[in-house]
Amino acid sequence: MKGWMGKILKIDLNSGTSETLDVGDDLRKKYLGGRGLGVKLYTQLCTPSTKPMSPENALIFLTGPLTGTVQTSGRYQVISRSPLTGTICDSSSGGNFGAVLKKTGFDGIIVTGKASKPVYLWLNDSGIEIREAGSLWGMKTHETQEKIKEQTHNKASVACIGPAGENGVLYAAIMNDNDRAAGRGGMGAVMGSKNLKAIAAFGTREVDVHDPEGLKQTYALVNKLIDKNPVTGKSLQVLGTSVLVNVINAHGMFPTENFKRGVFNDAEGISGEKIAEMILHGRSACYKCPIACGRSTRTSKKEGEGPEYETVWAFGAQIGNNDLQVATEANYACNELGLDTISTGNTIGCAMELWEKGVFPESLDWGETQRVVGLVEDIAYGRGIGKELALGSKRLAEKYGKPGLAMQVKGMELPAYDPRGAQAQALAFATSNRGGCHMRAYLIGPEILGQPVLMDRFSTAGKAELVSLFQDISAVVDSLSLCRFLQIALGLDTFGLMLKNVTGIELTDEELMQIGKRIYTLERDFNVKAGFCRQDDMLPPRFLTEELDEGPSRNRVVKLDEMLDRYYALRGWDNQGNPLEETLTELEI
Amino acid sequence: MIEKEQLVKMIDHTELNSHSGEKKISNLCDEARKFGFFSVCVNSCYTRFAAEKLFGSDVLVCTVAGFPLGACTTATKAFEAGKSVEEGAMEIDMVMNVGALRDKRYSYVKEDIAEVVKACGPALLKVILETCYLTDEEIVEACKICVDAGAQFVKTSTGFGAFGAFPDHIRLMRKTVGPHIGVKASGGIKNFKEVWRLIQAGASRIGMSAGVTMLEGFTLFKYAPQAWLEPEIPCHVCPSRHASLGKLPKALYTYYKQKCSSCPHKDEYNKFYD
Repeated sequence: MKGWMGKILKIDLNSGTSETLDVGDDLRKKYLGGRGLGVKLYTQLCTPSTKPMSPENALIFLTGPLTGTVQTSGRYQVISRSPLTGTICDSSSGGNFGAVLKKTGFDGIIVTGKASKPVYLWLNDSGIEIREAGSLWGMKTHETQEKIKEQTHNKASVACIGPAGENGVLYAAIMNDNDRAAGRGGMGAVMGSKNLKAIAAFGTREVDVHDPEGLKQTYALVNKLIDKNPVTGKSLQVLGTSVLVNVINAHGMFPTENFKRGVFNDAEGISGEKIAEMILHGRSACYKCPIACGRSTRTSKKEGEGPEYETVWAFGAQIGNNDLQVATEANYACNELGLDTISTGNTIGCAMELWEKGVFPESLDWGETQRVVGLVEDIAYGRGIGKELALGSKRLAEKYGKPGLAMQVKGMELPAYDPRGAQAQALAFATSNRGGCHMRAYLIGPEILGQPVLMDRFSTAGKAELVSLFQDISAVVDSLSLCRFLQIALGLDTFGLMLKNVTGIELTDEELMQIGKRIYTLERDFNVKAGFCRQDDMLPPRFLTEELDEGPSRNRVVKLDEMLDRYYALRGWDNQGNPLEETLTELEI
Repeated sequence: MIEKEQLVKMIDHTELNSHSGEKKISNLCDEARKFGFFSVCVNSCYTRFAAEKLFGSDVLVCTVAGFPLGACTTATKAFEAGKSVEEGAMEIDMVMNVGALRDKRYSYVKEDIAEVVKACGPALLKVILETCYLTDEEIVEACKICVDAGAQFVKTSTGFGAFGAFPDHIRLMRKTVGPHIGVKASGGIKNFKEVWRLIQAGASRIGMSAGVTMLEGFTLFKYAPQAWLEPEIPCHVCPSRHASLGKLPKALYTYYKQKCSSCPHKDEYNKFYD
């Protein structure tokens, strides 16, 4: 079958042996690749009792059928069980690594077991090599990538962990192509638990395309659609993702000081506009991406990439900091140390509120800018209070007897949108399969940005339907291993067209939606078997009982119960959130 | 619910910006062919160019006259329309003389339109009322004049006025002109929900430059249609809410705000923002 390379490499680090798998056309058609195929393979390899940090846990790196061929197709997904949440988890990253990995002739790599000493994998046209990484252990991510390129190939792409992953920080990231991150869910910690420092890849094989002429036309169409959409064609290009700072703040849902408020008075100072004025010196793009939302930036001390919207929030409003330089340098530190910026900043904000409430032992005031970067380093190296913060906000707040102060769902820290200002996004957070995350379903699109249409953000009517719809489409795009910004500009028809051009498989939009539903339900089924239930589809009590007291979202709380039953019914789950037998049968799970 | 094939045949794919050159018009024509839009709507200097680009397709060329102010002489409008028809336009969107209508110089307005009807010959004429600058009573009067003058369509907006098409105005226009005259909604239309609302209100043609992106979003429409079509907060789709003192004459701004103060939805609106 065209598009896929047809082979996945499976490596057992216990024995140092590897084998090649062909998952077969049936699985490829039912789960596509990336997230979907990864989740399916994970459920075949592991059980709900597999411990995330145990050698038995599988860590799967996968590309998709379109990887290396169309716009934004340099991405890859990492699938495993999250040590932060205990859920099944996939984490996605941009850059070039996905495309380079596929050009070695493999659709992905499955890693099991644990090496006796630190190692890295070197994957190239000739196959796989397990190399000793003792000298790299302890290195930050940029240096690691440089050293490995010196040892392998100067055009190799490297996905690696930093000290945070080595030290088991539960939200450690995997970094590639300098500053691209598979950030969420602690995939870096799983990698570290296997003594696996990095995977380096360089290959020269081309992806075999079914209809090159058709693909050329579709490619031009996609460029046009990206260009015509006001978000992908203008805002993201000019101001990057941080264009959202002023937008979300203006809606009164820019979480401030651990989500106590929805308006940050100093938002302008950390906005995309301010980034463009103060620290921007260029744009950067992932593989074949015409959007180029990446920001190359420079502070008085350093230079690097970012911060993205979520990051400038996490090290800005969330911790009461209005100093863009500090937020930027905290972002650089996270990238170098291999930390998820959302969970890091959110957890620091939680600690600050615990201190404010008088239950945290160490002084940590809002906006205490001089300590931020040092605190990030303490988390990565497990030093002082950093050791407690490395466990995430849920465990931290529970330890100090204030579980309600952790702004998380299922243990994963929430991103930069106060759910009280957007009911559908609130439901999406609560029901997300990997925890408090906006990437399972980005309802900010219709509720705030008017993409594809503007919905009443305070109404609960029809929101269960929209959340379910967006979750399924997102699962499809993640399984094609494409950037989710494409989802803003392209309809399902166009994704189907790309798939047809590259693979020859013709799927209607209904069939694509069915695939999305299958993937989402499979993830849910795994989580249910691992013990998750309705009680876990829950938001922190702050959002359900405490009204915002200022700004355009004032006097609002999330009306979760109004939406949850309807959502379960639409999904074909019972009222506790368990997929019904007939649903599983219908979806051929 | 409307099918995609029906929808594209209601759209005038539009590019009327002063800064758009031949490349943009060429792209516009390519898109209209690819997606099967009813027509392309371009400034009159591009009529021949668009007609040549679309030769052999069933996409029509629509051109504007007296655009965007409608304040030029009747002879100028008629010449522009006639010349465009000669160069391949099958539809002409002329701008009514808004100032004359607001002065109640109705015979002048009617004559202005009737002369362009003549100049159009076999081509169809749509008259842009620029509804943002009219009261409801003036919209009704303008529609009657257009029908009397022989126009085949009434149209809301140029896209360069204070605001564009709203369902309230479309309903009023449809009610006034009856079922046999076309009603075109245009100006600020961006997505399928807005398109759907305007069609439901009585629009038989939609003028928009965002047709391609609208169609991408349209694929979502059939999933959870009841969710997408949940009723709006009425004020969000009401022209009065969009009245801006900076963009409208003082008297019109006051007119719209007076409508707000007597609106039955006022309490609902206040509750929403409470």
